[in-house]
Amino acid sequence: MAELSFPLPDLGEGLIEATILEWLVEEGEHVERNQPLVEVETTKSSLELPSPQTGVVVRTHGGPGETIDVGDPLIVFEVPDDTAGIIGTVPKDEKPKRRVRLNVDLDD
Amino acid sequence: MSNAVATPPVDAGAGRTVPAERTGRTTLSMNQAINAALHDALAENPRTLVLGEDVGRLGGVFRVTDGLQAKFGADRVFDTPLAESGILGMSAGLAMAGYHPIPEVQFDGFTYPAINQLVTQIARMNFRTRGALPMPITLRMPSFGGIQSPELHSESLEWLFAHVAGLKVVSPSSPHQAYHLLRHAAQRPDPVVYMEPKSRYWQKGRVDFDEPGNLEGAHVARAGRHLTLVAWGAMVSRCLQAAEAAAEDGLDVEVLDLRWLSPIDADALAASISKTRRAVVVHEAPKTAGLGAEVSQLITERCFGTLKAPVERVTGFDVPFPSGSLENEYIPNIDRILYGIQRVLEYRRG
Repeated sequence: MAELSFPLPDLGEGLIEATILEWLVEEGEHVERNQPLVEVETTKSSLELPSPQTGVVVRTHGGPGETIDVGDPLIVFEVPDDTAGIIGTVPKDEKPKRRVRLNVDLDD
Repeated sequence: MSNAVATPPVDAGAGRTVPAERTGRTTLSMNQAINAALHDALAENPRTLVLGEDVGRLGGVFRVTDGLQAKFGADRVFDTPLAESGILGMSAGLAMAGYHPIPEVQFDGFTYPAINQLVTQIARMNFRTRGALPMPITLRMPSFGGIQSPELHSESLEWLFAHVAGLKVVSPSSPHQAYHLLRHAAQRPDPVVYMEPKSRYWQKGRVDFDEPGNLEGAHVARAGRHLTLVAWGAMVSRCLQAAEAAAEDGLDVEVLDLRWLSPIDADALAASISKTRRAVVVHEAPKTAGLGAEVSQLITERCFGTLKAPVERVTGFDVPFPSGSLENEYIPNIDRILYGIQRVLEYRRG
Protein backbone atom coordinates (compact mmCIF):
# COMPACT_ATOMS: atom_id res chain seq x y z
CA MET A 1 0.00 0.00 0.00
CA ALA A 2 1.12 3.54 -0.74
CA GLU A 3 0.35 6.80 1.06
CA LEU A 4 -0.88 9.75 -0.94
CA SER A 5 -0.87 13.20 0.61
CA PHE A 6 -3.08 16.01 -0.64
CA PRO A 7 -2.43 19.64 0.20
CA LEU A 8 -5.07 22.28 0.74
CA PRO A 9 -5.87 23.33 -2.83
CA ASP A 10 -5.81 26.90 -4.12
CA LEU A 11 -9.37 28.02 -3.46
CA GLY A 12 -9.13 30.91 -5.89
CA GLU A 13 -9.69 34.63 -5.49
CA GLY A 14 -6.21 35.08 -4.05
CA LEU A 15 -7.02 33.27 -0.82
CA ILE A 16 -3.95 31.93 0.96
CA GLU A 17 -5.45 29.98 3.86
CA ALA A 18 -8.60 28.35 5.16
CA THR A 19 -9.93 27.47 8.61
CA ILE A 20 -11.21 23.97 9.32
CA LEU A 21 -14.84 24.04 10.42
CA GLU A 22 -15.61 20.35 10.54
CA TRP A 23 -14.12 17.12 9.25
CA LEU A 24 -16.77 15.02 7.50
CA VAL A 25 -14.59 11.86 7.44
CA GLU A 26 -12.62 10.04 10.12
CA GLU A 27 -9.21 8.44 10.12
CA GLY A 28 -9.54 4.83 9.02
CA GLU A 29 -12.66 5.56 6.99
CA HIS A 30 -12.92 4.48 3.33
CA VAL A 31 -13.96 7.39 1.14
CA GLU A 32 -14.99 7.54 -2.49
CA ARG A 33 -13.76 10.08 -4.98
CA ASN A 34 -15.79 13.33 -4.83
CA GLN A 35 -17.23 12.44 -1.41
CA PRO A 36 -17.26 15.58 0.83
CA LEU A 37 -14.17 15.51 3.07
CA VAL A 38 -14.12 18.65 5.11
CA GLU A 39 -15.91 21.92 5.57
CA VAL A 40 -13.59 24.90 5.57
CA GLU A 41 -14.08 28.63 5.93
CA THR A 42 -12.20 31.32 4.07
CA THR A 43 -12.49 35.07 4.33
CA LYS A 44 -14.96 34.84 1.43
CA SER A 45 -17.16 31.87 2.21
CA SER A 46 -17.44 28.44 3.73
CA LEU A 47 -17.34 25.43 1.45
CA GLU A 48 -17.07 21.65 1.35
CA LEU A 49 -14.00 20.13 -0.29
CA PRO A 50 -14.63 16.91 -2.25
CA SER A 51 -12.20 14.00 -2.06
CA PRO A 52 -9.79 13.93 -5.01
CA GLN A 53 -9.18 10.21 -4.44
CA THR A 54 -10.78 6.92 -3.48
CA GLY A 55 -8.97 5.35 -0.53
CA VAL A 56 -8.70 4.97 3.21
CA VAL A 57 -8.03 8.09 5.28
CA VAL A 58 -4.74 7.70 7.14
CA ARG A 59 -4.38 11.16 8.67
CA THR A 60 -6.16 14.49 8.67
CA HIS A 61 -4.32 17.73 9.39
CA GLY A 62 -5.82 20.39 11.59
CA GLY A 63 -8.84 20.30 13.89
CA PRO A 64 -11.87 22.60 13.97
CA GLY A 65 -10.81 26.22 14.32
CA GLU A 66 -7.27 25.63 13.08
CA THR A 67 -6.00 27.43 9.99
CA ILE A 68 -4.14 25.73 7.14
CA ASP A 69 -2.13 27.49 4.45
CA VAL A 70 -2.81 26.71 0.80
CA GLY A 71 -0.29 24.04 -0.22
CA ASP A 72 0.16 22.59 3.27
CA PRO A 73 -0.87 18.97 3.91
CA LEU A 74 -4.61 18.53 4.43
CA ILE A 75 -5.23 14.80 4.29
CA VAL A 76 -3.31 11.57 3.65
CA PHE A 77 -4.85 8.50 2.00
CA GLU A 78 -3.74 4.91 1.82
CA VAL A 79 -4.25 3.42 -1.64
CA PRO A 80 -3.15 0.16 -3.32
CA ASP A 81 0.33 0.48 -4.82
CA ASP A 82 -0.81 -0.11 -8.37
CA THR A 83 -3.45 2.59 -8.34
CA ALA A 84 -1.58 5.31 -6.43
CA GLY A 85 -1.93 8.62 -8.19
CA ILE A 86 -3.82 7.44 -11.24
CA ILE A 87 -6.25 9.64 -13.08
CA GLY A 88 -9.55 8.18 -14.23
CA THR A 89 -11.04 4.81 -13.36
CA VAL A 90 -9.35 1.42 -13.42
CA PRO A 91 -11.50 -0.55 -15.89
CA LYS A 92 -13.04 -3.80 -14.77
CA ASP A 93 -11.83 -6.75 -16.82
CA GLU A 94 -15.16 -8.48 -17.14
CA LYS A 95 -16.67 -10.35 -20.02
CA PRO A 96 -18.65 -7.85 -22.06
CA LYS A 97 -22.31 -8.35 -22.76
CA ARG A 98 -23.35 -8.79 -26.36
CA ARG A 99 -26.74 -8.08 -27.84
CA VAL A 100 -26.03 -8.45 -31.56
CA ARG A 101 -26.27 -11.92 -33.08
CA LEU A 102 -24.66 -12.64 -36.44
CA ASN A 103 -26.59 -14.08 -39.32
CA VAL A 104 -23.85 -16.19 -40.89
CA ASP A 105 -24.62 -17.24 -44.46
CA LEU A 106 -21.26 -17.61 -46.18
CA ASP A 107 -21.34 -17.94 -49.94
CA ASP A 108 -17.91 -19.53 -50.13
CA MET B 1 24.15 23.42 -12.26
CA SER B 2 25.96 24.15 -15.50
CA ASN B 3 23.95 24.82 -18.64
CA ALA B 4 26.36 22.75 -20.68
CA VAL B 5 25.25 19.25 -21.62
CA ALA B 6 27.61 16.80 -19.99
CA THR B 7 29.52 14.44 -22.19
CA PRO B 8 27.56 11.21 -22.18
CA PRO B 9 29.14 8.24 -20.49
CA VAL B 10 30.82 5.73 -22.71
CA ASP B 11 28.44 2.95 -23.66
CA ALA B 12 30.26 0.04 -22.11
CA GLY B 13 27.92 -2.36 -23.85
CA ALA B 14 28.39 -0.96 -27.36
CA GLY B 15 29.03 -3.69 -29.85
CA ARG B 16 28.68 -6.42 -27.24
CA THR B 17 25.72 -8.42 -26.15
CA VAL B 18 24.77 -7.51 -22.61
CA PRO B 19 23.71 -10.62 -20.72
CA ALA B 20 19.99 -10.56 -20.10
CA GLU B 21 19.23 -9.97 -16.43
CA ARG B 22 15.80 -11.49 -16.71
CA THR B 23 15.16 -15.02 -17.83
CA GLY B 24 12.26 -17.40 -17.84
CA ARG B 25 8.56 -16.64 -17.72
CA THR B 26 6.50 -14.68 -15.25
CA THR B 27 3.11 -13.00 -14.94
CA LEU B 28 3.05 -9.20 -15.01
CA SER B 29 0.54 -6.45 -15.57
CA MET B 30 1.32 -4.17 -18.50
CA ASN B 31 2.49 -1.29 -16.31
CA GLN B 32 4.85 -3.68 -14.52
CA ALA B 33 6.10 -5.05 -17.84
CA ILE B 34 6.86 -1.53 -19.11
CA ASN B 35 8.52 -0.72 -15.79
CA ALA B 36 10.73 -3.81 -16.22
CA ALA B 37 11.61 -2.80 -19.79
CA LEU B 38 12.57 0.72 -18.69
CA HIS B 39 14.62 -0.72 -15.85
CA ASP B 40 16.48 -3.04 -18.19
CA ALA B 41 17.03 -0.33 -20.81
CA LEU B 42 18.55 1.92 -18.12
CA ALA B 43 20.68 -0.93 -16.80
CA GLU B 44 21.90 -1.94 -20.24
CA ASN B 45 22.92 1.45 -21.59
CA PRO B 46 24.40 4.18 -19.36
CA ARG B 47 23.33 6.75 -21.96
CA THR B 48 19.64 5.92 -21.56
CA LEU B 49 17.61 8.53 -19.65
CA VAL B 50 13.99 8.63 -18.50
CA LEU B 51 12.37 12.06 -18.21
CA GLY B 52 8.89 13.50 -17.90
CA GLU B 53 6.23 14.86 -15.59
CA ASP B 54 6.11 12.94 -12.29
CA VAL B 55 8.23 10.05 -13.60
CA GLY B 56 10.80 10.47 -10.82
CA ARG B 57 9.70 10.92 -7.23
CA LEU B 58 6.08 9.92 -7.79
CA GLY B 59 6.91 7.00 -10.07
CA GLY B 60 4.42 8.01 -12.77
CA VAL B 61 0.67 8.55 -12.59
CA PHE B 62 0.22 4.92 -13.70
CA ARG B 63 3.15 3.58 -11.61
CA VAL B 64 5.04 2.84 -14.82
CA THR B 65 8.30 4.45 -13.64
CA ASP B 66 7.91 3.33 -10.02
CA GLY B 67 11.26 2.83 -8.27
CA LEU B 68 13.43 3.79 -11.25
CA GLN B 69 14.70 7.06 -9.77
CA ALA B 70 15.62 5.32 -6.51
CA LYS B 71 17.54 2.68 -8.46
CA PHE B 72 19.26 4.79 -11.12
CA GLY B 73 19.39 8.22 -9.50
CA ALA B 74 17.85 11.59 -10.29
CA ASP B 75 20.47 12.27 -12.98
CA ARG B 76 19.06 9.51 -15.17
CA VAL B 77 15.40 9.41 -14.15
CA PHE B 78 14.17 12.95 -13.63
CA ASP B 79 11.07 15.07 -13.28
CA THR B 80 10.49 17.90 -15.72
CA PRO B 81 8.31 21.00 -15.54
CA LEU B 82 4.76 20.75 -16.89
CA ALA B 83 5.86 21.75 -20.38
CA GLU B 84 5.69 19.06 -23.03
CA SER B 85 7.50 21.19 -25.62
CA GLY B 86 10.34 21.37 -23.10
CA ILE B 87 10.32 17.61 -22.52
CA LEU B 88 10.64 16.86 -26.24
CA GLY B 89 12.94 19.80 -26.95
CA MET B 90 15.26 18.62 -24.19
CA SER B 91 15.07 15.09 -25.57
CA ALA B 92 16.13 16.34 -29.02
CA GLY B 93 19.10 18.15 -27.50
CA LEU B 94 20.08 15.14 -25.39
CA ALA B 95 19.89 12.91 -28.46
CA MET B 96 22.16 15.33 -30.34
CA ALA B 97 24.62 15.10 -27.46
CA GLY B 98 24.71 11.31 -27.64
CA TYR B 99 22.12 10.28 -25.09
CA HIS B 100 19.20 7.88 -25.63
CA PRO B 101 16.28 9.66 -23.97
CA ILE B 102 12.99 7.91 -23.19
CA PRO B 103 10.67 10.87 -22.57
CA GLU B 104 7.14 10.39 -21.27
CA VAL B 105 4.25 12.61 -22.26
CA GLN B 106 1.92 12.00 -19.33
CA PHE B 107 -1.22 11.65 -21.45
CA ASP B 108 -1.55 11.42 -25.22
CA GLY B 109 -3.65 14.58 -25.31
CA PHE B 110 -0.75 16.53 -23.84
CA THR B 111 1.28 15.92 -27.01
CA TYR B 112 -0.35 18.83 -28.79
CA PRO B 113 1.83 21.49 -27.12
CA ALA B 114 4.92 19.47 -28.14
CA ILE B 115 3.97 18.85 -31.77
CA ASN B 116 6.43 21.47 -33.00
CA GLN B 117 9.39 19.77 -31.32
CA LEU B 118 8.20 16.36 -32.43
CA VAL B 119 7.42 17.16 -36.07
CA THR B 120 9.88 19.91 -36.97
CA GLN B 121 12.87 18.68 -34.97
CA ILE B 122 12.80 15.07 -33.76
CA ALA B 123 11.17 13.56 -36.86
CA ARG B 124 13.35 15.50 -39.33
CA MET B 125 16.78 15.74 -37.73
CA ASN B 126 18.19 12.56 -39.21
CA PHE B 127 16.90 13.53 -42.67
CA ARG B 128 18.00 17.17 -42.33
CA THR B 129 21.55 16.26 -41.35
CA ARG B 130 21.83 13.42 -43.85
CA GLY B 131 22.28 10.92 -41.05
CA ALA B 132 24.77 12.93 -39.00
CA LEU B 133 22.32 13.46 -36.11
CA PRO B 134 20.04 10.49 -35.61
CA MET B 135 17.38 10.83 -32.91
CA PRO B 136 17.39 7.65 -30.79
CA ILE B 137 14.34 8.79 -28.81
CA THR B 138 11.55 6.53 -27.56
CA LEU B 139 8.55 8.72 -26.77
CA ARG B 140 6.21 6.90 -24.38
CA MET B 141 2.66 8.02 -23.79
CA PRO B 142 -0.41 6.51 -22.11
CA SER B 143 -2.79 6.42 -25.05
CA PHE B 144 -6.38 5.81 -26.14
CA GLY B 145 -9.45 5.77 -23.88
CA GLY B 146 -11.11 3.33 -21.53
CA ILE B 147 -10.49 4.91 -18.11
CA GLN B 148 -13.23 7.56 -18.18
CA SER B 149 -10.67 10.32 -17.85
CA PRO B 150 -11.07 14.09 -18.00
CA GLU B 151 -10.82 15.84 -21.36
CA LEU B 152 -7.52 15.53 -23.28
CA HIS B 153 -6.37 12.63 -21.09
CA SER B 154 -7.69 10.16 -23.67
CA GLU B 155 -7.00 10.61 -27.36
CA SER B 156 -6.15 8.28 -30.21
CA LEU B 157 -3.38 10.02 -32.12
CA GLU B 158 -1.86 7.21 -34.17
CA TRP B 159 -3.31 8.79 -37.35
CA LEU B 160 -1.26 11.91 -36.64
CA PHE B 161 2.05 10.28 -35.71
CA ALA B 162 1.82 7.74 -38.53
CA HIS B 163 1.49 10.55 -41.06
CA VAL B 164 4.70 12.28 -39.93
CA ALA B 165 7.62 11.04 -42.02
CA GLY B 166 10.58 10.18 -39.83
CA LEU B 167 8.59 8.79 -36.91
CA LYS B 168 7.99 5.12 -36.23
CA VAL B 169 4.83 4.28 -34.28
CA VAL B 170 4.14 1.16 -32.25
CA SER B 171 1.46 0.12 -29.77
CA PRO B 172 1.62 -3.05 -27.64
CA SER B 173 -1.52 -5.00 -26.76
CA SER B 174 -0.23 -7.36 -24.03
CA PRO B 175 2.34 -7.31 -21.20
CA HIS B 176 4.66 -9.63 -23.16
CA GLN B 177 4.63 -7.38 -26.19
CA ALA B 178 4.85 -4.27 -24.04
CA TYR B 179 8.14 -5.46 -22.53
CA HIS B 180 9.78 -6.64 -25.71
CA LEU B 181 8.53 -3.92 -28.06
CA LEU B 182 9.77 -1.24 -25.66
CA ARG B 183 13.20 -2.87 -25.37
CA HIS B 184 13.26 -3.15 -29.16
CA ALA B 185 12.15 0.45 -29.69
CA ALA B 186 14.69 1.80 -27.19
CA GLN B 187 17.53 0.09 -29.05
CA ARG B 188 16.60 1.62 -32.41
CA PRO B 189 18.55 4.61 -33.76
CA ASP B 190 15.40 6.43 -34.90
CA PRO B 191 12.55 8.12 -33.04
CA VAL B 192 9.72 5.78 -32.04
CA VAL B 193 6.36 6.84 -30.62
CA TYR B 194 5.38 4.09 -28.18
CA MET B 195 1.64 4.25 -27.49
CA GLU B 196 0.67 2.46 -24.28
CA PRO B 197 -3.02 1.45 -24.14
CA LYS B 198 -3.79 2.95 -20.74
CA SER B 199 -6.96 0.91 -20.21
CA ARG B 200 -4.81 -2.26 -20.37
CA TYR B 201 -2.21 -1.21 -17.77
CA TRP B 202 -3.65 -3.40 -15.03
CA GLN B 203 -4.45 -6.57 -16.95
CA LYS B 204 -1.97 -9.32 -16.24
CA GLY B 205 -0.42 -11.65 -18.77
CA ARG B 206 2.45 -14.06 -19.29
CA VAL B 207 5.79 -12.49 -20.16
CA ASP B 208 8.49 -14.73 -21.61
CA PHE B 209 11.84 -12.98 -21.31
CA ASP B 210 13.71 -15.62 -23.29
CA GLU B 211 11.41 -15.79 -26.32
CA PRO B 212 10.45 -12.31 -27.49
CA GLY B 213 9.11 -13.64 -30.80
CA ASN B 214 9.22 -11.55 -33.96
CA LEU B 215 9.11 -7.89 -32.96
CA GLU B 216 8.78 -6.41 -36.43
CA GLY B 217 5.47 -6.03 -38.19
CA ALA B 218 2.06 -7.36 -37.28
CA HIS B 219 1.11 -10.29 -35.06
CA VAL B 220 -1.73 -12.77 -35.55
CA ALA B 221 -3.47 -12.60 -32.16
CA ARG B 222 -6.04 -15.20 -33.16
CA ALA B 223 -6.11 -17.32 -36.28
CA GLY B 224 -9.36 -17.67 -38.22
CA ARG B 225 -10.70 -18.56 -41.66
CA HIS B 226 -13.69 -16.36 -42.50
CA LEU B 227 -12.92 -12.72 -41.71
CA THR B 228 -10.02 -10.61 -40.38
CA LEU B 229 -10.41 -7.99 -37.68
CA VAL B 230 -7.50 -5.54 -37.91
CA ALA B 231 -6.75 -3.63 -34.70
CA TRP B 232 -4.04 -2.24 -32.44
CA GLY B 233 -3.61 -1.20 -28.80
CA ALA B 234 -6.63 -1.67 -26.54
CA MET B 235 -8.88 -2.62 -29.47
CA VAL B 236 -7.01 -5.91 -29.89
CA SER B 237 -8.50 -7.39 -26.72
CA ARG B 238 -11.93 -6.04 -27.68
CA CYS B 239 -11.63 -7.66 -31.11
CA LEU B 240 -10.64 -10.94 -29.46
CA GLN B 241 -13.85 -10.73 -27.42
CA ALA B 242 -15.84 -9.95 -30.57
CA ALA B 243 -14.19 -12.94 -32.27
CA GLU B 244 -15.31 -15.18 -29.40
CA ALA B 245 -18.85 -13.87 -29.78
CA ALA B 246 -18.72 -14.46 -33.56
CA ALA B 247 -17.49 -18.00 -32.98
CA GLU B 248 -20.68 -18.69 -31.00
CA ASP B 249 -22.57 -17.81 -34.19
CA GLY B 250 -20.42 -20.03 -36.39
CA LEU B 251 -18.00 -17.45 -37.81
CA ASP B 252 -14.26 -18.13 -37.52
CA VAL B 253 -12.62 -14.71 -37.12
CA GLU B 254 -8.92 -13.90 -37.34
CA VAL B 255 -7.57 -10.99 -35.27
CA LEU B 256 -4.52 -9.25 -36.69
CA ASP B 257 -2.72 -7.01 -34.19
CA LEU B 258 -0.92 -4.48 -36.38
CA ARG B 259 1.45 -3.42 -33.55
CA TRP B 260 3.53 -1.17 -35.82
CA LEU B 261 1.37 1.67 -37.16
CA SER B 262 4.29 3.20 -39.03
CA PRO B 263 5.41 1.45 -41.05
CA ILE B 264 2.31 -0.72 -41.47
CA ASP B 265 3.00 -4.37 -42.23
CA ALA B 266 1.24 -4.56 -45.61
CA ASP B 267 2.55 -8.09 -46.21
CA ALA B 268 0.83 -9.37 -43.06
CA LEU B 269 -2.40 -7.66 -44.09
CA ALA B 270 -2.21 -9.28 -47.51
CA ALA B 271 -1.40 -12.71 -46.08
CA SER B 272 -4.35 -12.61 -43.69
CA ILE B 273 -6.97 -11.15 -45.99
CA SER B 274 -5.91 -13.31 -48.96
CA LYS B 275 -6.97 -16.18 -46.73
CA THR B 276 -10.14 -14.79 -45.15
CA ARG B 277 -11.22 -12.48 -48.02
CA ARG B 278 -13.13 -10.22 -45.62
CA ALA B 279 -11.81 -7.45 -43.36
CA VAL B 280 -13.02 -5.03 -40.70
CA VAL B 281 -10.66 -2.38 -39.28
CA VAL B 282 -11.34 -1.24 -35.72
CA HIS B 283 -9.90 1.87 -34.07
CA GLU B 284 -10.78 4.47 -31.45
CA ALA B 285 -9.86 7.56 -33.45
CA PRO B 286 -12.50 9.32 -35.57
CA LYS B 287 -13.24 7.61 -38.88
CA THR B 288 -12.48 10.48 -41.24
CA ALA B 289 -8.80 10.39 -42.29
CA GLY B 290 -8.13 7.81 -39.58
CA LEU B 291 -5.60 5.02 -39.96
CA GLY B 292 -8.46 2.66 -40.89
CA ALA B 293 -8.59 4.40 -44.28
CA GLU B 294 -4.90 3.66 -44.87
CA VAL B 295 -5.28 0.04 -43.79
CA SER B 296 -8.34 -0.34 -45.98
CA GLN B 297 -6.48 1.01 -49.00
CA LEU B 298 -3.46 -1.24 -48.40
CA ILE B 299 -5.83 -4.23 -48.32
CA THR B 300 -7.62 -3.05 -51.45
CA GLU B 301 -4.36 -2.60 -53.36
CA ARG B 302 -3.21 -6.10 -52.59
CA CYS B 303 -6.43 -8.12 -52.28
CA PHE B 304 -8.94 -6.34 -54.56
CA GLY B 305 -9.45 -9.39 -56.75
CA THR B 306 -10.26 -11.74 -53.93
CA LEU B 307 -12.15 -9.47 -51.49
CA LYS B 308 -15.74 -10.60 -50.91
CA ALA B 309 -16.82 -7.11 -49.73
CA PRO B 310 -15.44 -3.61 -49.27
CA VAL B 311 -13.30 -3.26 -46.14
CA GLU B 312 -15.52 -2.09 -43.28
CA ARG B 313 -14.44 0.42 -40.62
CA VAL B 314 -15.68 0.41 -37.01
CA THR B 315 -14.25 3.50 -35.32
CA GLY B 316 -14.82 6.41 -33.01
CA PHE B 317 -17.13 9.12 -34.31
CA ASP B 318 -16.06 12.37 -35.95
CA VAL B 319 -16.21 14.30 -32.68
CA PRO B 320 -13.62 15.18 -30.01
CA PHE B 321 -12.84 12.14 -27.83
CA PRO B 322 -15.49 12.39 -25.08
CA SER B 323 -14.48 12.50 -21.42
CA GLY B 324 -15.92 10.54 -18.49
CA SER B 325 -18.44 7.76 -19.02
CA LEU B 326 -19.59 9.25 -22.33
CA GLU B 327 -16.59 7.51 -23.88
CA ASN B 328 -18.55 4.25 -23.60
CA GLU B 329 -20.80 5.53 -26.40
CA TYR B 330 -17.78 6.49 -28.53
CA ILE B 331 -15.25 3.68 -28.30
CA PRO B 332 -16.19 0.70 -30.50
CA ASN B 333 -17.85 -2.00 -28.38
CA ILE B 334 -18.53 -5.65 -29.13
CA ASP B 335 -21.92 -4.95 -30.67
CA ARG B 336 -20.63 -2.27 -33.03
CA ILE B 337 -17.86 -4.61 -34.15
CA LEU B 338 -20.41 -7.38 -34.73
CA TYR B 339 -22.59 -4.99 -36.77
CA GLY B 340 -19.52 -4.18 -38.87
CA ILE B 341 -18.91 -7.88 -39.42
CA GLN B 342 -22.57 -8.35 -40.38
CA ARG B 343 -22.35 -5.57 -42.99
CA VAL B 344 -19.41 -7.37 -44.60
CA LEU B 345 -21.22 -10.73 -44.52
CA GLU B 346 -24.33 -9.28 -46.15
CA TYR B 347 -22.53 -7.57 -49.02
CA ARG B 348 -23.27 -9.04 -52.40
CA ARG B 349 -21.72 -7.93 -55.68
CA GLY B 350 -23.87 -6.54 -58.46
